[in-house]
Amino acid sequence: MALTITCPICGKRNGYEFKFGGEERGPRPDEKDLTPEAWCDYVHMNNCVAGVQKEWWFHRDGCGSWFTIHRDTTTNFEVEKAEAEK
Amino acid sequence: MFSKQKPLWGKKKKLKSSYDVVLIGGGLHNLATAYYLAKNHGVTDIAIIEKNFIGFGGAGRNTAIVRANQRTQHNVPLYKEALDLWPVLTKELDYNLMFNNCGNLNLMHSEAAMKAARTTISTAQFHGVESHLIDAKEAKELVPALNISDDITFPIHGAMFHPPGGIVRHDAVVWGLAKGAAEKGVEIHQQTEALAVGTKNGKVTSVTTSEGVINTKQVLISAGGYSAGLINGMLGIKLPISVLTIQAMVTQPLKPLLNHVVSSGAYHCYANQTLKGEIATGAHMDPWPNYTNLSTAHFIKHQAEALCEFLPCLKGVRFMRIWGGLADMTPDMAPILEGNNHFDGFFMNCGWGYFGFKSCSSAGKYMAEYMATNHCPDMLKPFALKRYEEHKLMGETAALVSYSPDN
Repeated sequence: MALTITCPICGKRNGYEFKFGGEERGPRPDEKDLTPEAWCDYVHMNNCVAGVQKEWWFHRDGCGSWFTIHRDTTTNFEVEKAEAEK
Repeated sequence: MFSKQKPLWGKKKKLKSSYDVVLIGGGLHNLATAYYLAKNHGVTDIAIIEKNFIGFGGAGRNTAIVRANQRTQHNVPLYKEALDLWPVLTKELDYNLMFNNCGNLNLMHSEAAMKAARTTISTAQFHGVESHLIDAKEAKELVPALNISDDITFPIHGAMFHPPGGIVRHDAVVWGLAKGAAEKGVEIHQQTEALAVGTKNGKVTSVTTSEGVINTKQVLISAGGYSAGLINGMLGIKLPISVLTIQAMVTQPLKPLLNHVVSSGAYHCYANQTLKGEIATGAHMDPWPNYTNLSTAHFIKHQAEALCEFLPCLKGVRFMRIWGGLADMTPDMAPILEGNNHFDGFFMNCGWGYFGFKSCSSAGKYMAEYMATNHCPDMLKPFALKRYEEHKLMGETAALVSYSPDN
């Protein structure tokens, strides 16, 4: 399986240098009127899309950046330019 | 698979327009559920809907290890019952499941790990599951090939020995359960894709498949790694699941040298010798969600390095075959079994991670009871989805991708 991730600082690198940081879930919910259901949704719940999803990555064995990419979960290929290149 | 021979589960039947129960996914959990619905509850008007062929997914890709040495009081009894059912099913199905209860040897590589093993063993013994703590010398007596010297990366301090576990031929379980269910009237529809679940006024009404629409009041989705995506896509129910690829491989066949399943958390590696003589080994997951079954050179190297340290006699042995499958991981490494919650008549059985094979018989038995009676059996009550909202996560191993240090 080939996975390469494009880091906004280091460029295209071997996927094993990175840590997956979860599906993009939008901003952290406001604590005012926060229900257990909404918090659980933000913390735990995933879409598990078989297709393109926006997701977070951390360049653990590299520059230490956190960034998002779009990746097709059925092929492992990035499908749009990484955030920093836009 | 689709040859002219008549399969054990009968000839292909035409899909009817209605069934009492529709099970989406032709894997072991649904085959077992169908079998027990028919056998224990007299429900026989059942269709199993499978996109590929039965046993295509995790059922045919796991490394066939069975055990009941989990950590928590809720999980151990479920796996214990599953373990106890192999000899029973072999007789009932009149089908050789090739259960080899050779026992599991779980290596510990630090005093902290030994302490954790003591807790796990106490839980096992409390629930009537045989499990012992042994030291490195005793482990060496059980598996003479083991390297217990100090000059390896993670020297062996001792082990947790769980004699009732072992290996079951996974394909035989698929075929045996399919045969047993079909004999009781269950229809297995392969090459049939479930496309949508229809609901009306909070109740399940139908399942749309590639072969037509089925009217039904009860649907169970249990499609292994594909469950979470299907449940969200069809019904908009999000689950705390990450779908990861898990890889496994076998070496060339060797003379008998391993008469127990040996596993190591620190090396992230397990190995057992199949009845053919191959060393089957695995345990590595690629820690990012994806739906591919691809394997990696990274993993072959990892596995070879680990094995050569604690089983040095395997140096120079060649890998013959490598494959991948999907594991649907939950944050607390425990499954989600749920019914009549989001919609009346909608059931789910998923989130087993890489424990789906060893649990299929008992999980199927209790899901059948759940669906037939519409009452959740006590055994399954702790596994409701609500536990995540209530911060009652189970104390099993911290799981990828959520919490483990491997991330």
